[in-house]
Amino acid sequence: MTAKPKLDAAGVVVRLGDALIVDGAALDLRAGELTVLIGPNGAGKTTLMRALAGLIPAEGRIDIDGRSLSALTIRERARRIAYLPQGHVFHWPMPVADVVALGRYPHADAFSMPTDDDRHAVKKALAATGTETFANRPVTTLSGGERARVALARALACEAPILLADEPTVSLDPRHQLVVMELLARAAHDGGAVLAIGHDLALAARFADRIVIMDRGRLVADGKPRDVLTAERIASVFGVEAVMTDDAIGPHPILLRPL
Amino acid sequence: MTRAESSGLRLNLTLALLIIVLAVISLMVGPAALSPREALVGLFGGDGAAAIIVRDIRLPRTLLAILIGATFGLAGAALQGLLRNPLAEPALFGAPQAASVGASFVIAYGLAGATSFAVPVAGIAGALVSIGGLVAIAGRRASLSVTLLAGLALASLAGAATALILNLAPTPYAALEIAFWLLGSLEDRSVDHLLIATPFFVASWLLLALNVQAFRALTLGEDAAASLGVDVGRTRLMVVIGVALGVGASVAVAGSIGFIGLVAPHLVRRAVGSDPARVCLPATLMGAVLLIAADIGVRLVPANPNATAVEIKLGVVTALIGVPFFLAMIFRERRLLDGAPS
Repeated sequence: MTAKPKLDAAGVVVRLGDALIVDGAALDLRAGELTVLIGPNGAGKTTLMRALAGLIPAEGRIDIDGRSLSALTIRERARRIAYLPQGHVFHWPMPVADVVALGRYPHADAFSMPTDDDRHAVKKALAATGTETFANRPVTTLSGGERARVALARALACEAPILLADEPTVSLDPRHQLVVMELLARAAHDGGAVLAIGHDLALAARFADRIVIMDRGRLVADGKPRDVLTAERIASVFGVEAVMTDDAIGPHPILLRPL
Repeated sequence: MTRAESSGLRLNLTLALLIIVLAVISLMVGPAALSPREALVGLFGGDGAAAIIVRDIRLPRTLLAILIGATFGLAGAALQGLLRNPLAEPALFGAPQAASVGASFVIAYGLAGATSFAVPVAGIAGALVSIGGLVAIAGRRASLSVTLLAGLALASLAGAATALILNLAPTPYAALEIAFWLLGSLEDRSVDHLLIATPFFVASWLLLALNVQAFRALTLGEDAAASLGVDVGRTRLMVVIGVALGVGASVAVAGSIGFIGLVAPHLVRRAVGSDPARVCLPATLMGAVLLIAADIGVRLVPANPNATAVEIKLGVVTALIGVPFFLAMIFRERRLLDGAPS
């Protein structure tokens, strides 16, 4: 973990109107690490992620590979950061393969044909997510779990060194939650710097190399799951009484009742 | 080539051929019917009556039908791509209506001749206000219901403003002239009309064509498209200006013609796998096919010889076909309109 961070942010402040949404966040993302950002609703997780992705203006310092995010062109930024927004939105009933190929958008010129690299990246993303079996189906006809995997495949096809995923497992059944988290972990262990927002503490504890906790605009904890997820912190941040168990697999929070 | 690409190519070639065939028919049809041979001889040479009819009367009209139809087809496909919404269409956003306000103001008060650049410029200004207003109101989410409600409001406002100009017209003749012109027609359009409108059409196509790839990325929503390197704000601005240029110039030379932008993309969408980028070219060609066919149609339907107008108005025909089509589409999209965000 001594390598230079892919993404290095400090003193990040985001205001929407008069409201202070992100209040001085400091965060670094390293290659090979899956970081899960958790926190209660309205803590500012999505806003922080959008700021890190360069989609909304923010005060403070955000560096990508040692260069300021704001100094990158929109295209340079797109090649370095893949962003998977909430909700897995697909507006047109395009075939799955064409949707995944959109991940290659930052690599193509306006009128250029797909290269071998593009085709290879799309194929790899389809295979990794197990979506190649329905690659020709219109994306709007898929189930929630299938759509989530297509959305992730699209982000993976970017082959960007940084992957930011906003609630990639939301509204998925347990099996698909595990499938998606495994894919994110694999993307990290293949050398990506991955940040995912989640709500399931057990899932975060199981897969994250690192957990960052956000509460009311501030990052209040950052470290290994075992160090960060404590009964006291779950009580103070989430307002939930919990007990922590720990075994060979890792720490497991068991949530008992709202406080 | 993928299946969608080869079927798209076949479709484009078929539509292009259809435009040529319809253009020849358009040169033949009118009060003095010509044979295909007479029409083509008149077009490429000769100096008899047929040559005058073909070159001075029917050719400008035919070319305008192609250009305006293509412009509306592309404008519809572009707005649908920008707003990720198959019901988007310039006429539903009050664009032709608002362009009519600008253009009829200029005409009613005799500020400029009907074939001066002032008319399209005023029309473009009107269209810019309505489409810009709509895209601003619809905002980032661009939900179906907000978009359509805002369009309805803008169209009503523009309609009222046009009515006001008619009410306050300096002479009843001016009012009547504007009222008929507003119904949309290509009758008696000259090369001058063609010349003042064409530069704006070309500018419109260029602005829209530059953003075709962005429409594809926008299928993932604005945030994801932005993260892929689309400058969403610039795309939105270019599409608004591009559509306004095309619609404003169309209205200035042909009055209000609606629903081509809704119908044309819909007819070709399935053949290109619903890809909002790949739909643009066939939608453009289909728009030209539809309008030139409609303009042949108005010349074949016998109008009352005692009436003021010699022909059925083109805008009336496109609305009579387009509105039921629109209602059918709403019927199919009911689930989306029932509150679910698009």
